[in-house]
Amino acid sequence: MTNFVNFLNAIGLAFVPLLLGALGEILTEKSGHLNLGVEGLMYMGGIGSIVAAFYCEQALAGSGIANQPLIIAVCSLLAAMLVGGLGGLIYSVMTVTFHANQNVTGLTLTIFGTGIGNFFGEYVGFLTSGGFLSIGENAKKAFASILPAVSGGETLELHTVGGVFERLFLDYNWMVFFSLILAVVMIWFFNRTFLGLRLKAVGENPAAADAAGINVALYRYLATIIGSGITGIAGMYIVMVNSSGVWSQNCIGGRGWLAIAVVLLSTWSPVRAIWGAMIFGGLSIMRLYYPIQGVPMQIYDLMPYIATIIVLLMTSIRQLKEHMQPKGCGLNYFREDR
Amino acid sequence: MKKQLTVQILLVVCLILAISACLACTAPQPATGSAAVPVEEATSAAEEPTAVEEGADDFNAFEAHGRANRRPDITKDNVKIGFIHYSDISDMGFTYSNYQGTLEMMKVLGLREDQVITKFNVPEDSASATTIKELIEEGCDLVFACGSVAFGDNMLECAREYPNIEFYHTTGWLAPIERLPNFHNSFAKAYQARYLAGIAAGLKTKTNKLGYVGAFPYAEVISGFSAFYLGAKSVNPDVTMDVIYTNSWGDAMLEDQAATALIQSGCDVLSQHSSSTAVATAAEKNGVWHIGYNVDLTDVAPNAFLLSACVDWSKDQIHAVSYMIENKDIETDWSGSYMDGACYLTPLNTAVAADGTQEAIDAAVAKLESGWDVFTGPLKDSQGNIIVEDGVTFHEPTSCPTWEHILEGVTVVGE
Repeated sequence: MTNFVNFLNAIGLAFVPLLLGALGEILTEKSGHLNLGVEGLMYMGGIGSIVAAFYCEQALAGSGIANQPLIIAVCSLLAAMLVGGLGGLIYSVMTVTFHANQNVTGLTLTIFGTGIGNFFGEYVGFLTSGGFLSIGENAKKAFASILPAVSGGETLELHTVGGVFERLFLDYNWMVFFSLILAVVMIWFFNRTFLGLRLKAVGENPAAADAAGINVALYRYLATIIGSGITGIAGMYIVMVNSSGVWSQNCIGGRGWLAIAVVLLSTWSPVRAIWGAMIFGGLSIMRLYYPIQGVPMQIYDLMPYIATIIVLLMTSIRQLKEHMQPKGCGLNYFREDR
Repeated sequence: MKKQLTVQILLVVCLILAISACLACTAPQPATGSAAVPVEEATSAAEEPTAVEEGADDFNAFEAHGRANRRPDITKDNVKIGFIHYSDISDMGFTYSNYQGTLEMMKVLGLREDQVITKFNVPEDSASATTIKELIEEGCDLVFACGSVAFGDNMLECAREYPNIEFYHTTGWLAPIERLPNFHNSFAKAYQARYLAGIAAGLKTKTNKLGYVGAFPYAEVISGFSAFYLGAKSVNPDVTMDVIYTNSWGDAMLEDQAATALIQSGCDVLSQHSSSTAVATAAEKNGVWHIGYNVDLTDVAPNAFLLSACVDWSKDQIHAVSYMIENKDIETDWSGSYMDGACYLTPLNTAVAADGTQEAIDAAVAKLESGWDVFTGPLKDSQGNIIVEDGVTFHEPTSCPTWEHILEGVTVVGE
């Protein structure tokens, strides 16, 4: 029982980067941009957040300002969105303004972002005495579990009902709740707002949207930049929570590609992305909690991809319109071709 | 519809291929799983005593092999050395410590900067052979490949092609098999440092359960954690250890998750054979302790970090380069011990370590100095079979570790 509760708690920590990456990519793809640079954007967001937190903490040290962890967290979040958004801007300029191939641009962005992350991780790290780019105590507090703050410092034992409740629903850092709220906001945005409907129109049929007076280029720019910013937050989570604010080389380790697989699994719906990310997160750590004797670990590592293939098979058999990739996705819009 | 059906069939075929490829990949791994154990145990139990008797003389066998590949034209002032690394120094782990070793070697031997060419981030496939050839064209007389088992095969091909150039692969295992005059391997007896680090873990643990995050089920990793466990057991007979493999040399997120799972199962001192800092920070976050590998992590986890077992890579480089300058034969397979300084411990974090840790480590060092070694019997494996008998010591026959037994008291999660 304890093991099961711990497993669920670990899923609650493991799914966040996949969900944030998938949400960013869904927003981007809804505008008709197939951005394969998620991995690179995660690196960019990650390095942006840690460098911002590092310098923010140094600037605040000894100043006596209250609520330092909060300021550092906000700084770090904005930096992750900004640097991730910068990646999205590069992508948009290439594809919307210069009509570059979307797939090639996305793959280039992956290589570019990985390089940027590792370069600045090394560069800032070697400016410090120990050689590590690492945040200090104050910044670490910003990404610790909120449970001690909520329960007033006392945590219940895990074998009581209250203890299980706390562990399952409260023993997480703020970014877990942030990612879930963001998913809900995105559902509302796509289905209940005028802007969301227009954005979907741009992604499905840019020519029709253009004829209806929608500024296709503007929508694609904004959706891609904001989507990339959200993807950047996914990188921030891996760096600040999983690596505890120490830059490790190649820390994203392919999660960007998994996030793209979550987009396929979720069939472009933010709410299904929550379940998709939880399934992927759960499958990726299942062998740590429930190992099956004799099953090689490579089989476990394969599971998320098998799940994706099965979902793709099922959706292509059922052919439901609402489960389809946006029609204009991957194609650049040439007004002259209309 | 027809096109769709074709796509679906293709996908299913891909799936089957992927699964079968995966199974094929896992098959040749070290046989620690259940299926292959009986056969392996039977042979190893019979063979090891002979390996113990003859192991120490294995180097003499290489001596007998003609290695006349001397280059009298090479002096301290004109020798040129190339290095290939699979990563770069920002990993703050393996490649970083190798590069520090190179700097130390240059300082000790008094080499100029233009006598050393270093190539980072060399792909671990046939492109590494191309990089080695580039180094040779730039005039290198001696080429080092640092780490990465995959460099070995490509380097071996180059060694056959360029008999006048010396090749040196650290942590490789092909040289004692191939016995070319110009191809060499080396690796420190890192397990000795692991054993000493294990003592600190055995004294610190309160739950008597250690956790170990390993990279792959590979002899270097298994040898490392077995020695670590024996060190802990030497001061704490009740201690047990859980091992989780991450299946990657460095994956911060997975290492963090594996470390957290170990802590939740009751482990209170963690160690690792992987290159990220995530295991140390996971220990720090959860209020348990950590023992590192290859790098001092006091800055990263000041309240958790005890000490690190490290390898000093300058020693084998100094050996190879100085022998080359002095026109002597470089050893085919060189291995330095703790007493040679080839492996060492970082200073103990006394603010965290248990009382008497330093004394216990010093006592074990004295034992090592007297000729005792880590894998001394009686040792049983996790199935209860005797693998090293009482009073017998298992000596590694080559510099590259070959120890693949899971000891009694060690549990590999999932096996």
